[in-house]
Amino acid sequence: MGISEFSIPFRYKTSRSSPFTWLLSHTLHHWAVFLAALIGAIGNAAFAAIPAVQFGIVFTNLTSGAPDKAVFLRAALIITYTQIVRGLFQLMRNFGFESTAQLIERDVRDEFYISLLGKSMTFHALQSVGDLMARATNDIREVNFLFSPGINMVFGSLNFLFIPLVIGWEINPALLLTPVLFILSYFLSIAGYLKKLRPVTSRVRSSFGLMNSRLAEAIDGVETVKAAAQEENEIELFRQNIQAYRNVSVEQGDMEARFLPLLLLALAMGFGLLHALLLFQQGTIPLGNVIKYFSALALLSFPTNTSIHSYSQISLGIASARRLLSIMNTENNLDQNDSGFSQPLRGEVVFQDVSFSYDAHKTALRNISFRVHPGQTVAIVGQTGSGKTTLARLINRTYDPDKGLVLIDGVALPAWKLDTLRSQISIIEQDIFLFSKSIHDNIAFSKPGASRAEVESAAQKAQAHAFITALPEGYGTIIGERGVTLSGGQRQRIALARAFLTDPKILILDDSTSAIDSQTEDEIQRAIKAASEGRTTFIITHRLSQIRWADLIIVMRRGTISDIGTHADLMRSSASYRNIFTET
Amino acid sequence: MGFHTGLASESYDRQYSNKLLLGRIWTYAEPERKRILVILLTVLLQGGLGALPPVIVSKVLDEGIAGIPNHQALYLLTAVVILLELLGYLFYYINHRLLARVIADINRSLSTDAFAASMRQDMAFHDVFSSGKIVSRITTDTRDFSTLITLTMDVASNLVQSLVTAFILLTAEWHLALLFFLTIPVFILFVSLYRNLARRVSRQGMRAMANVNATIKETISGIAVAKNFRQEESIYAEFKHSNVVSFKTNLKRGLILSTVFPTTRTLGALATALLVYFGAISVTQGIITAGAWYLFILSTERFLLPILSITSYWTQVQTGLSAAERILALIDAEQTVIQTGDYQPGSYRGRIDFNHLWFSYSNGKPVLNDFCLHIREGENVAIVGHTGAGKTSIARLITRFYEFQSGELLIDGRDIRSYNLHALRQHMGLVTQVPFLFEGTVEDNIRFANPDITREQILALSSQIGGGEWLETFADGLDTRVGERGGQISMGQRQLVALLRVLAQNPSVFILDEATASIDPFTEKQIQTALNLILRQSTSVLIAHRLSTVQSADRIIVLREGDIIEEGTHSELLARGGHYSELYNTYFRHQSLDYVEQAGSS
Repeated sequence: MGISEFSIPFRYKTSRSSPFTWLLSHTLHHWAVFLAALIGAIGNAAFAAIPAVQFGIVFTNLTSGAPDKAVFLRAALIITYTQIVRGLFQLMRNFGFESTAQLIERDVRDEFYISLLGKSMTFHALQSVGDLMARATNDIREVNFLFSPGINMVFGSLNFLFIPLVIGWEINPALLLTPVLFILSYFLSIAGYLKKLRPVTSRVRSSFGLMNSRLAEAIDGVETVKAAAQEENEIELFRQNIQAYRNVSVEQGDMEARFLPLLLLALAMGFGLLHALLLFQQGTIPLGNVIKYFSALALLSFPTNTSIHSYSQISLGIASARRLLSIMNTENNLDQNDSGFSQPLRGEVVFQDVSFSYDAHKTALRNISFRVHPGQTVAIVGQTGSGKTTLARLINRTYDPDKGLVLIDGVALPAWKLDTLRSQISIIEQDIFLFSKSIHDNIAFSKPGASRAEVESAAQKAQAHAFITALPEGYGTIIGERGVTLSGGQRQRIALARAFLTDPKILILDDSTSAIDSQTEDEIQRAIKAASEGRTTFIITHRLSQIRWADLIIVMRRGTISDIGTHADLMRSSASYRNIFTET
Repeated sequence: MGFHTGLASESYDRQYSNKLLLGRIWTYAEPERKRILVILLTVLLQGGLGALPPVIVSKVLDEGIAGIPNHQALYLLTAVVILLELLGYLFYYINHRLLARVIADINRSLSTDAFAASMRQDMAFHDVFSSGKIVSRITTDTRDFSTLITLTMDVASNLVQSLVTAFILLTAEWHLALLFFLTIPVFILFVSLYRNLARRVSRQGMRAMANVNATIKETISGIAVAKNFRQEESIYAEFKHSNVVSFKTNLKRGLILSTVFPTTRTLGALATALLVYFGAISVTQGIITAGAWYLFILSTERFLLPILSITSYWTQVQTGLSAAERILALIDAEQTVIQTGDYQPGSYRGRIDFNHLWFSYSNGKPVLNDFCLHIREGENVAIVGHTGAGKTSIARLITRFYEFQSGELLIDGRDIRSYNLHALRQHMGLVTQVPFLFEGTVEDNIRFANPDITREQILALSSQIGGGEWLETFADGLDTRVGERGGQISMGQRQLVALLRVLAQNPSVFILDEATASIDPFTEKQIQTALNLILRQSTSVLIAHRLSTVQSADRIIVLREGDIIEEGTHSELLARGGHYSELYNTYFRHQSLDYVEQAGSS
């Protein structure tokens, strides 16, 4: 499993070395269901051949000169019984593959989710939620489809390839010629077809994506397009994009039109019939066997016709499994250090010559050094991209610096037990995430089982109590898509209340809210002031008042500290700082 | 098929009569008529050919019974079978290639028209109808419509195959054939019963899936919060529960759906068993030949399967037709903004006069009543007022996004309706409240309204703002990609780029709907500089949310319920103590440095 921030063992072991072995290890876990599916498929195919045999028997009897009703009845009954059994086998096959597919979808999603929980904040900070969401739903769904209908149809229909072999062998070994040649060329042409199809379908998908995203963008930004009088240019751009999409679609259509197995089937049917008739003419086989053989050859149309779609389904499923694995196999760079240093924090934070970069050629932070005493409030200011958020993320060990040390209470971060650190350091992110649950549950999320009184007192401190009780259902109000929409300032105060419940010793507040009116601004001010009491607080803020009254102000510029000190210090020493406190 | 969400009807939707609908569809199919004709021909031939091999085989058998055929006859026969199969493949090939082109081309012209229509629609339309739904009409509905084309061809081919087979069976032995046709209603009944059941479980499954997706989305988005508070375990429990619910619902759905083929197959096999017995008896009674008996057996599937598929296609045909109706409704939606003239000035000076103008949105509530406002050339006017006072409406009338009901709106003394819309807007710069950028580089976006500007000119403009230092905050300067909707750069940066876009355009009239989002104070200063540059060179209408913007205007217009109740400069109005000073205390007070100084003492 490697290093992980958090681990729940998955119920069984899987091999993650390749999409194939991974899916195999999941399949093997559900071996009984899968085996039932395989047996169903084989039984289905075996019983499917019986009517052909019976047709031959009846025909032989009919032409024998002494037709016998009992033979007809026997044949009809055999067909009836065997085809009912075949129906049951087919049902078993379908149920088996369907259950395998659903079980594997469930387990793969479970395994994927557990793996996500184990990833570091670094991973989650860089990975877009939309992308993970797409993998957890669409890609996992594709893995489901790989089994049903994918493998179901392919394995089910491949069995039919062997019936002509069996029947041909039984009638006359020479009749194996056509089915053997067909089977060989069938597999060769399918392999070639899939190889050629893959780049085309991926181009179809990417050109559609390109067209779709620009289209959506143009319609979202229609006001801007109109104001700039650029409608005709946008239409022209759309025309180009859809033309590109049209061309690759036609290319895919042409490729499907050339689907060789259909041609092979045509040839096999013709030559098979000729071969059998020649044998009949030589008196080697009776006419009834010609029928039997030709009926068996007709079964080859199953694997030929289903393969057009089913093989693409399997190839899509493998591609999706690869995308899932690529996430699960991403190395984690932090460990929990369960045996590390653990004690209540005082809240002293020291950066010693810290440098950090997200990737090798771009440094995000360079030579950062400062000291913050317990209980101080620090404002971090600077333009977008100057490194404010990165700096804050080093404090709760979301990332480890490349160079230098971050120390809390004199102990370097890696020496701390991660659990101890995280449970006493709270971050309120810029984009505040609230669950689609009641306000009570959202606040109590940080401390499951917290009483209503505790939740209310936290909300009061965060200046949230008043607006919560003004809502029709108070603390029971459901937030989010299915409920009430809250403003940025209200969300922030709920997040503050959530943090108050755990009473962290260090609070990091990435504050990008803006108050539309002065009264709300007053409330936010009071909430943040309450939050900073009795703990070390880092505020990344745009609020002049927060900057003005902070104990320490760190001005970031292109990954370095350009100025540091109190308001009075900076008003003296920094021109750009002075500039923002000047009326224009 | 046919379980689309977000395809609820819109008020511009209309019911087309069948004749009109087919007529409109035909206008798109018409350019493809030659291809369609060839496709239909191949379909007919394919269907006919498909029914032939059993006939030939049965003939062979009858020959074989009569006596040993000679070599030549056998070769000829085989040649015929191979030829037929090859022709079948050739027809498939031609058919598939042409169909791919027909679908792609119709899809292209239909979605281009739909996109062009939505681009030309005025803002009254776009404000009411969500962009997501319009997009789904342009992409999903056109695709559903193309499926209709494939479907029509499939139905045609199946129908032909069934009819030809029926004909062959009837000529071979009509008694048996009629008896055989009696089984059809049983199959159709079964398929329709099953279709209803399938539709119900599918709908349940879809609904469950949507719920599960929502929970998965939430539990994934919530991972970061869970990690922050070390609550991974509780969020995992929630995820696990929804995953198991999803599993159960979908398993049920899957199992029910997977019963259909085994059942129809078995029914078909029972029909065959009956045929084997009664057919053979007929042979012994000399009613039919042994070859004909075998013909019937071979034809069972060829006859029944097409009928089964036609029955199940019907829902999809309906889906396709209503998709067509939705796209056409989008294309045919009427515009409300109508120009009476085509005046195309090279540029204009930017004098704006509202004379006794009346305006209301389509819902009827009047916004501006007998409104008069005169803005001088080069003047900078800030409009303030509570939400709903009519600030945005004024801006949207000047940009001609909306039609007013009566009165006059003059640009440079000329009726705004007499201008060519394109020419009018070419000299108007607009920055919306949430500045909108397009995927591409910073440079592409600055150039958006003025494609002819050079990179040097853009750099020169950039350097007027804080010495161009703002460009350095981008990873690759002007070549930085801004992402879809500008999502990869910050709100402040987006505003700066949007203002630069207006600077590059150098319009006569500038309209700003100021953003309310908070910007870091350093970027905010640069935005102010850019704004001042624009204000210097054009007539400006500012819907102001920032104190600094209000203060920089030549004149402040105070609106209440569509009426101008006060006007003057910031200090004049504040001194008067009227509505403006109330607005100031509500919206602007906390932006002043005095407030910042007091914040520490409270």
